[in-house]
Amino acid sequence: MRKSWLRDYIIRRLFYSIIIAWGILTVTFILVRVGPSSPADRYLANLAASGQDVTQVIAAIEARYGVDRPIWEQYTDYMTNLFRGNWGWSFSTSMPVIELIKKHWIYSFQLILLSSLFAAFLGILIGIYSAVKQYTKADYTFTFLSFIGISIPNFWLGVMLILIFSVKLGLFKTYYDTTLPLFSIENLKALVLPVITLGTGMLAAYVRYTRSAMLDNLRKVFVTTARAKGLPERIVIGKHVFRNALLPLVTIILFDLGSIVFGGAYLTEIVFGIPGLGQISFKAIFANDYPVVVAVTLIGTLVVLLVNLVTDIIYTYLDPRIRYD
Amino acid sequence: MNATHHHQRAAEQSPGPSHFAGNVEMDNVVLKVNNLKTYFFTRRGVVRAVDGVSFDLKKGECLCLDGESGCGKTVTALSILGLIDSPPGRIVCGQINYDGLDLVQCSSRQLRKIRGNDIAIVFQEAQSALNPVLTVGDQIIEQIKLHRPLNYKEARRRAVELLAEMGIPSVERVMNYYPHQLSGGMKQRALIAMSLSCDPKILIADEPTTAVDVTIKAQILDTFRELKAKRQMSLLFITHDLAVVAEIGDRAVVMYGGKDVETAPVSEIISNPKHPYTAGLIACLPDVSKATDKLASIPGTTPDPLEMPPGCAFHPRCDRAMAICSQQQPPRVAVSGEHKVSCHLYG
Amino acid sequence: MIKGLEDTIIKLRHFWHSNMRLVSYYWERTHRNRLATCGLAFIVFLVLLALIGPFLTLDPTEVNFEEKNLPPVGFTVEQSVYNIETGEFITKKVAGTWKHPLGTDSKGRDMLAMIVSGARVSLFVGLIATGIAIILGTIIGVLSAYFGGWVDNVMMRFTDIMMTFPFFLLLVLIVFIFGPSLIFIILAIGLTGWTGTARMVRSESLSLRTREFVLAARALGASDNRVVFRHLIPNVISLIIVIATLSIPGVILAEAALSFIGLGDPTVPSWGIILEAGQHSLDTAWWVAVEPGIMLFLTVLAFNFLGDGLRDAFDPKSQI
Repeated sequence: MRKSWLRDYIIRRLFYSIIIAWGILTVTFILVRVGPSSPADRYLANLAASGQDVTQVIAAIEARYGVDRPIWEQYTDYMTNLFRGNWGWSFSTSMPVIELIKKHWIYSFQLILLSSLFAAFLGILIGIYSAVKQYTKADYTFTFLSFIGISIPNFWLGVMLILIFSVKLGLFKTYYDTTLPLFSIENLKALVLPVITLGTGMLAAYVRYTRSAMLDNLRKVFVTTARAKGLPERIVIGKHVFRNALLPLVTIILFDLGSIVFGGAYLTEIVFGIPGLGQISFKAIFANDYPVVVAVTLIGTLVVLLVNLVTDIIYTYLDPRIRYD
Repeated sequence: MNATHHHQRAAEQSPGPSHFAGNVEMDNVVLKVNNLKTYFFTRRGVVRAVDGVSFDLKKGECLCLDGESGCGKTVTALSILGLIDSPPGRIVCGQINYDGLDLVQCSSRQLRKIRGNDIAIVFQEAQSALNPVLTVGDQIIEQIKLHRPLNYKEARRRAVELLAEMGIPSVERVMNYYPHQLSGGMKQRALIAMSLSCDPKILIADEPTTAVDVTIKAQILDTFRELKAKRQMSLLFITHDLAVVAEIGDRAVVMYGGKDVETAPVSEIISNPKHPYTAGLIACLPDVSKATDKLASIPGTTPDPLEMPPGCAFHPRCDRAMAICSQQQPPRVAVSGEHKVSCHLYG
Repeated sequence: MIKGLEDTIIKLRHFWHSNMRLVSYYWERTHRNRLATCGLAFIVFLVLLALIGPFLTLDPTEVNFEEKNLPPVGFTVEQSVYNIETGEFITKKVAGTWKHPLGTDSKGRDMLAMIVSGARVSLFVGLIATGIAIILGTIIGVLSAYFGGWVDNVMMRFTDIMMTFPFFLLLVLIVFIFGPSLIFIILAIGLTGWTGTARMVRSESLSLRTREFVLAARALGASDNRVVFRHLIPNVISLIIVIATLSIPGVILAEAALSFIGLGDPTVPSWGIILEAGQHSLDTAWWVAVEPGIMLFLTVLAFNFLGDGLRDAFDPKSQI
């Protein structure tokens, strides 16, 4: 009742998100289809070698996949199908796109989830500590380390981790073992290096964000009020300051998901051979398998949009002053 | 030794005639600040924010700390509660005696038990003194539960009572309000209710009337007066406004440049100021009986805290300055009973 | 006539001097930050390396299988070598030589020469792509703020769409479709990376118009020219310098990442491409993956240090 404006806001935002998603979908579709190649390309070398008439076969294959028609028709077809829940057919893996995604999303999800938790948990703790101990040696050290963490290219870090821990020390396998059951200690162990690879940059960023958000609030009068009440420092910092620092923090952390996480997860999956969505879309691009490419891009976008919406809603609970009008 | 004046603990405060000489035991003094020095060690130099302040706060009285901004009033208050940010600040010497303890030497655990429970403080701007993301109720309940062995329900009931006592309408609703949903005066009341929640023996009010407008100011002063009468509480009232001092104070300490320059009952201060600075302040009060179109003011500006003038800090602005004023710090002299002044004129 | 000219010259000189004072003030503040100074020093070193280095090193494309997989100076590795006479694999120790101080790759190319020419590519990509993104972003931001209304609305909604797009995915797509040539890579990064700049420039221009010091300058009777040149431009430029410095590392990384996943320009030896090759020979020649990565890391670090120092100098309040 108090938040009835929130429902209107969510509806408006959902509508807006759909428009953006549609825009991105269209851009991706056009990009993929104006590309100079066709799904027939990968057969050409073989066909030519076996002496068949290439042009005829191309036409047959293109007709089979429906890419010989005008782009506008393909687009409307694709959109109607998508709307009905039919995500298309993956040429390169010969299965429905939806099946492919169902099979692989969990690998991306576990990587992103574990990395985010690792980074947010440690990053926020270190950030708080650094802010409370501002201008001490510990603070300078953490600030310096966070610079390093932000600057280290994550794919290179992945390669270095493999070099040191897998090649030289032999502690881990050099690639991700897909035969492991998902919920097992072995799988968790296999994810250690990828999580560090993806998490380090996020961790460093969170340390900096948390530190600065905490510093913004540490000198406010209400903090002195909290201390004057006789509250122990643990509660003054953990409750009174942190609750206020959380506002900008939540926005930035969730906003990062789009840029750091998707770019980073993409590369991390490729470095470690994790068969997540990043890797299937990467393979699909080289195989000209456009339904997969479009679908993965769409999923990435939808996740970002959803997260933005959830951020806004969380925000209304964290900051009672906010009203989206 | 200092407390030789009996102070009447009557409800109505008409300072002046009610003060008469008499002998009273030392335990009438609830808080004794002696030669307190709080310095801030900054990159640009040492700021002597409080540089040798002494005063007594007696049971049931309202003592005003008065002076221009930057004279060390607030730092004195924060020093009493042990709330000086360290680094850069530090209490370098002095004692603050409360209940047989020296608060300067107390452990942080001991101090936490006293803060909010025995000594509470109300800050200047209720807007920034309340946590914007917690409800008013939660902020009060938090403090009650901290110092009293009550469960949530009981603490909540107490908070409701307190808010109602402060004259806040529809209390149950206000409990769930966030600070931004309250008006300025309501916020100030909520803040006062919070500070009173554990029945403190001493309430420090740090310019509670500065950030509000005139009508609310009068209401808040009334509230403090009632509180003092009802609760047998000692009030340390910090203000830069002598008019407020005259209205609410029993005794006043006038501060300048981190030092207490004059201490006396309010009636004495108003009618017979000894220190040229106090006299200047009083001359600045607008007097409705005289029709002038100009407000008087003390020439010059408050000194740079990093470069305090040597000797008496006030001498560059003092129209009665002598040669000695720039060389030696004036001693504290008792001009009569409870009236003390630090000025070479009376050495 | 002459008088007017003199006046103009005096005004110009005054403008130059007062702005130089501003520049030296900012320099002073940036200089005080030791990390920013280190960052700047490394960037200067890198620029010199990219400009002069290629004339001093060996030919980075020269293949020599006799000297393949040589470790850097000071390191010794064991290699199994095929002995033509006996037809057996034997293990022998190989030590780094001063001829190839950073070793060689699997084709016997000199790593030092490759790293040096890689610096050229990375800086080139970093500067040009950032330049495109910044110019585009500034134009869109300023136009949005200046016109307001529906222009602002359309442009900002478009910016929203671009920002929601998973940036790297879009980049991969574009580069794949238009082919992995350096020019397309630069264009792709430049044309997708302007959104943040546009947002920041827009809000800065909007807020500057009504900021107190501008109003104060107006109230004091400063002419529009003076307000624009003395207050608005320096403020927006300082913001743009900071954004540019902090964007360059992202751009350099994006190029390296593209090269790393096999979408780099194969004709240009960038750090990402060396790294990609090195990744597959970790067990035989670890240095091929390590060295370009270290350079990449140091370059990004240097720009981050400098950008952070600059931002502190321009706006001491901002913390992030």
